[in-house]
Amino acid sequence: MARIELRNIQKFFGAVQVLKDVNLTIDDGEFVVMLGQSGCGKTTTLRAIAGLETVTSGTIAIDGREVQGLRAADRDIAFVFQSFSLYPHMTVQENIAFPLRAVGMSQTDRDAAVTEVAKVLGIERFLHRKPSALSGGDMQRVAIGRALVRRPKALLMDEPIGALDAKLREQMRAEIKRLHIARASTSVYVTHDQIEAMSLADRIVVMHAGLLQQVGTPEEVYNRPANLFVAQFVGSPVMNVADVVVEGGAGAVVLGFGQGQGIPLDGGHVGHLPRRPVKLGIRPEAVILAHGPGEGLVETQTTNIEPLGSHDIVDVRLGDATLRARAEPGFAGDGQRVWVGLDAERAHFFDGATGMALRRTA
Amino acid sequence: MARIELRGINKSFGAQRALRDLDLVVEDGEFFVLLGRTGAGKTTALRVIAGLETPDSGQVLLGDNDVGGWTAAERDVALVLQQYSLYPRLTVRGNLEFPLRSRIRKFSEPEIAARVEKAARTLQIPHLLDRKVERLSGGEMQRVSIGRAIVREPSVFLMDEPLSALDAKLRESLRVELKKLHSTLGATFLFVTHDQVEAMSMADKIGVLQKGRLVQVGTPADIYDRPRNTFVARSVGSPPMNLIDGHLSGGMAELAGFRLPVVAAGERAVTFGVRPENLVLDPGAPGEARIFDIEDQGVVKIVAMDVGGTRLHATVPARTRVLRDEVVRFGWKPDRILTFDPQTGANLAQV
Repeated sequence: MARIELRNIQKFFGAVQVLKDVNLTIDDGEFVVMLGQSGCGKTTTLRAIAGLETVTSGTIAIDGREVQGLRAADRDIAFVFQSFSLYPHMTVQENIAFPLRAVGMSQTDRDAAVTEVAKVLGIERFLHRKPSALSGGDMQRVAIGRALVRRPKALLMDEPIGALDAKLREQMRAEIKRLHIARASTSVYVTHDQIEAMSLADRIVVMHAGLLQQVGTPEEVYNRPANLFVAQFVGSPVMNVADVVVEGGAGAVVLGFGQGQGIPLDGGHVGHLPRRPVKLGIRPEAVILAHGPGEGLVETQTTNIEPLGSHDIVDVRLGDATLRARAEPGFAGDGQRVWVGLDAERAHFFDGATGMALRRTA
Repeated sequence: MARIELRGINKSFGAQRALRDLDLVVEDGEFFVLLGRTGAGKTTALRVIAGLETPDSGQVLLGDNDVGGWTAAERDVALVLQQYSLYPRLTVRGNLEFPLRSRIRKFSEPEIAARVEKAARTLQIPHLLDRKVERLSGGEMQRVSIGRAIVREPSVFLMDEPLSALDAKLRESLRVELKKLHSTLGATFLFVTHDQVEAMSMADKIGVLQKGRLVQVGTPADIYDRPRNTFVARSVGSPPMNLIDGHLSGGMAELAGFRLPVVAAGERAVTFGVRPENLVLDPGAPGEARIFDIEDQGVVKIVAMDVGGTRLHATVPARTRVLRDEVVRFGWKPDRILTFDPQTGANLAQV
């Protein structure tokens, strides 16, 4: 168990700065997911915590002790990679026991520890097999078992289920989460998959271009994105973003989408916005579609439909923008007359130049 | 005319049978998606049509012609693959011109320029024409690959997982663009994928392929709402359809220790099929389950729960508050329940 603190971490590879003043505290027992595209610095951050990468400047503390000068082996942290890196000539039992042999634990204690961890992971019946006789999911369970067996202070995982197929990934997500709850181990998990992040994390750290973009619970990151990058990285379909102008005075205002088309809104939702073009962010589930006119709705046409079975994604044209709406089945795809509105409570606004969220000061 | 037809195609690689008596018809101008897992034979089927693979038996027809003896070049179909296979040293324009400068096709310079211009406009890449390919993003490269396929103006497009290597946001926008391209060109599209969202969102018709055989062909709604068997049922929708073994009796599903109403009639052992969005958490409902896991997807939550030895997935509103290991009660929407034969997996409503 451990609390991990990163202070003012900078990292250069040659002239390229890959980490820019990263500050982050991971609490004891917390499950933190670092989320971002390839090249954003998430893996470098993880490797810096593990001691597999040096940092150019800044401090890394584990339970208050600075470790940035220590070797990986002296940090008491376990690591799981996407590639399984098991010893092919050893049985599952021997693979899991390996880290314990290295610290000179007795045979009896080793067996007890391996049995315990194998039970948690549901791989007891494979203990005498070689890794080559296992499926991908089971191999990754063994790799996780090997990481956990010596009860490390923290468990670091780099896309551990990225190579598995969709069905197995779904199952492993639930298992990793339950394992974390059972063991209460501090966990840092790196992924580019926003669904993994949303479903596993106590807190998500969204990274882009070496900078932390937002740190928050899945609910905060989804419902109160700090900037445009976060807004469009989390959620599927992607959040709609459109250039809009707030028109009209106090009371009722209109959100202009260009070409003379706009949506009326209660002024209270946009009173804090500057009188210049801003970016509207609205998730497909907050775009309201109707078959007939109504208050706050404007007439337009559909341009595309994706029937997904449980619901449809319908694209509509509004001024210069195309908005995607999550709708109940019943709309047609091409050129159907529909009426569209916005759930103003769930509308986000961003500064056109900086991309930062413009919030009502509450 | 660009109708595609496969008649009784068999193809083996050594001892492995990739295609088994495959019959397939893609109508002229249709957007047809062949959906299957790795190894189902979908890429082999595509390569047989393109002329890159010779079938052991069976016929390939393009329009009214049996093209069995034709080379790939003679078939004049466009192929777009997951890997971009562009010439890295050429500009975008150079890559787009390349197929038009082939020795077997004689195009005048003004004709070449006009076609490149038109393709670039269709794909919204005119501003990239003079850029080197190696300086493009993944999405731009895939657009150029598609551009290279459309400059020849073929009437048949074969696409093998062209979106798989792209990130989620780009995949989403290219799905819409491909559909638009299809309706602009009016060409026949055969698109191969393992991704059910791509199949559902783009296809006029989906063909579900299993072990080299076509299990069902239908519109996305047919496949989703009226699957022929449990395999098709679980190949679309996320999470997949729940399958629960029980007994049908007097308009009720008798499950492990409780009963839920269904519309189906009859008296027999049945595998009940229920999609996650048709399970309902409700304190007054007859079913009892223990929550195994909750995934917050923002717009909805996916709840995994155990009923006896069966794990069910339910899609519930995002505001739902449940905890791991909590015992909850659930029901379902009776008119949305499918019934399957427990032995064969066949949909009993269609037998």
